[in-house]
Amino acid sequence: MVINGVEIDDTFAEAFNMRGTRILITAQNLRWAYNAANAMTGFATSVIGCGVEAGIERELSEEETPDGRPGLSVLMFAMGSKVLMQQLETRMGQCILTCPTAAAFAGIESEDMISLGKHLRFFGDGYQVSKQIPDANGKLKRYWRIPVMDGEFLTEETTGMVRAIGGGNFLVLGASQAQVLTACEAAIDAMRKLPNVIMPFPGGVVRSGSKVGSKYPKMFASTNDAFCPTLKGVVKSELDPRVESVMEIVVNGLTFEDIAVSMKAGIEAACGLGKDNGILRISAGNYGGKLGQHHFKLRPILSGEVSA
Amino acid sequence: MSQITLTAKAVARSVDCRALLPEALQGKTVAEIANIKLAANLSVADVFEVSVDSASEAAVVNFKNTTAAHEYIGFGMTSGQINVAGDAGDFLGAQLQNGVLICTGNAGARAGDRMRRGMLLIEGNAGDYCGSDMMAGTLGVLGTTGAYLGYGMKRGTLLLAHTPAAQATWVDCGFHKLPFLNILYKSFKRLDSRFAQISSQRVQRWMGDMGGLGKAEILVIQS
Repeated sequence: MVINGVEIDDTFAEAFNMRGTRILITAQNLRWAYNAANAMTGFATSVIGCGVEAGIERELSEEETPDGRPGLSVLMFAMGSKVLMQQLETRMGQCILTCPTAAAFAGIESEDMISLGKHLRFFGDGYQVSKQIPDANGKLKRYWRIPVMDGEFLTEETTGMVRAIGGGNFLVLGASQAQVLTACEAAIDAMRKLPNVIMPFPGGVVRSGSKVGSKYPKMFASTNDAFCPTLKGVVKSELDPRVESVMEIVVNGLTFEDIAVSMKAGIEAACGLGKDNGILRISAGNYGGKLGQHHFKLRPILSGEVSA
Repeated sequence: MSQITLTAKAVARSVDCRALLPEALQGKTVAEIANIKLAANLSVADVFEVSVDSASEAAVVNFKNTTAAHEYIGFGMTSGQINVAGDAGDFLGAQLQNGVLICTGNAGARAGDRMRRGMLLIEGNAGDYCGSDMMAGTLGVLGTTGAYLGYGMKRGTLLLAHTPAAQATWVDCGFHKLPFLNILYKSFKRLDSRFAQISSQRVQRWMGDMGGLGKAEILVIQS
């Protein structure tokens, strides 16, 4: 398969079951909503070292938020419910509670509701106030008002936790680092327009793809030498002589379809630059298909065989 | 679900309306409701015209033409909505457990007494001891309030349009813009009530009743 001169490998991305949640963050204006959301989703690129993978899903208009202020929706993923709950509470306490004018609300409904401000309320030292207020559907929701130095911190008591998928990915292989980065930026711009997904790495792009294991016994993972351009000729390389740079986009989403649709949009945007601009191949990262529960096959996805 | 309308007949005595809750009247026919005893020698048919709309999506009881003689409206209500088009007597919404109670006229004494949850919205004036011993929930008054406002009130919110008389056991916490009010006002927008027109998030906050727990609040809306 070739798109705009770019070869599409006959391979698949291998992804895993995760637990996910969505939080709506509002503030006096978008500047402060971003300050809160950037803090909350900071150091959340990979579950390996950060516990969770998180990112800003999209901006919310004043009509879309519970308190009528501008806001952002944040998605957060973890390998299990326990660590997701722990990380959410920690990040709520250190990043949202602390941020001037910020408030937090549930962004997803589920049978599994986890603490958003349920325990954080004790910061109020007895002066916290609970309010139960019906939403647009008449369903009662509990909010906590916690006195803080800038006024009141407002948070909903819980948010929903759902089954989700993490680790959808594709690799962009090109003739130069600058050209590959430009293609990845185009891909990220396209993917950020879609709902229910986040790309958790810096700017949505990761340059240090890893393989399982290492020559060092204590290391669980190490550099993906088969895709390192400077090791061509030294290791069993996946790269031909033209490739000087490889970057990866990892995508987590609420459903298989969400990830497939976003991968399609991202790959098509990257291929839009074409062979003439140094984009040579699209591939994907997997572990032979034995570790992950979900396989995102590039060619069927790009043929439109998976749709949301 | 059904919507029950109770149109009050002229009465020369007080009428205890505590049996006329949305949850209690659901599924009942006009005849069944008319036969409900309100006192030893008083049935619903003696003091109300009854009509039932069984096609309603919500459990609602509408009181019409009521006066200060109609007491204990919404007493202990746990769900649904009561609309009072008229005045109400003492103990309006007392011991409210949940749901929404709207009164377009004036309320008597002890409105919201020992209320635990839900919303009691009075568009007219409230009598003495409004919100007395209230434990939680939201009680709004667009008119004036009487003496001993929030007497013994433990938790909950009194949302007022007019500044009440100063009381020794309520402490002025100053003027504030509270974001949660936007969420509360959004919930008002669903209601056919003058409360749906409130938009100011700026309030004067009082805490009390310091003679007891002292964790309740009075919020006086500022224009």
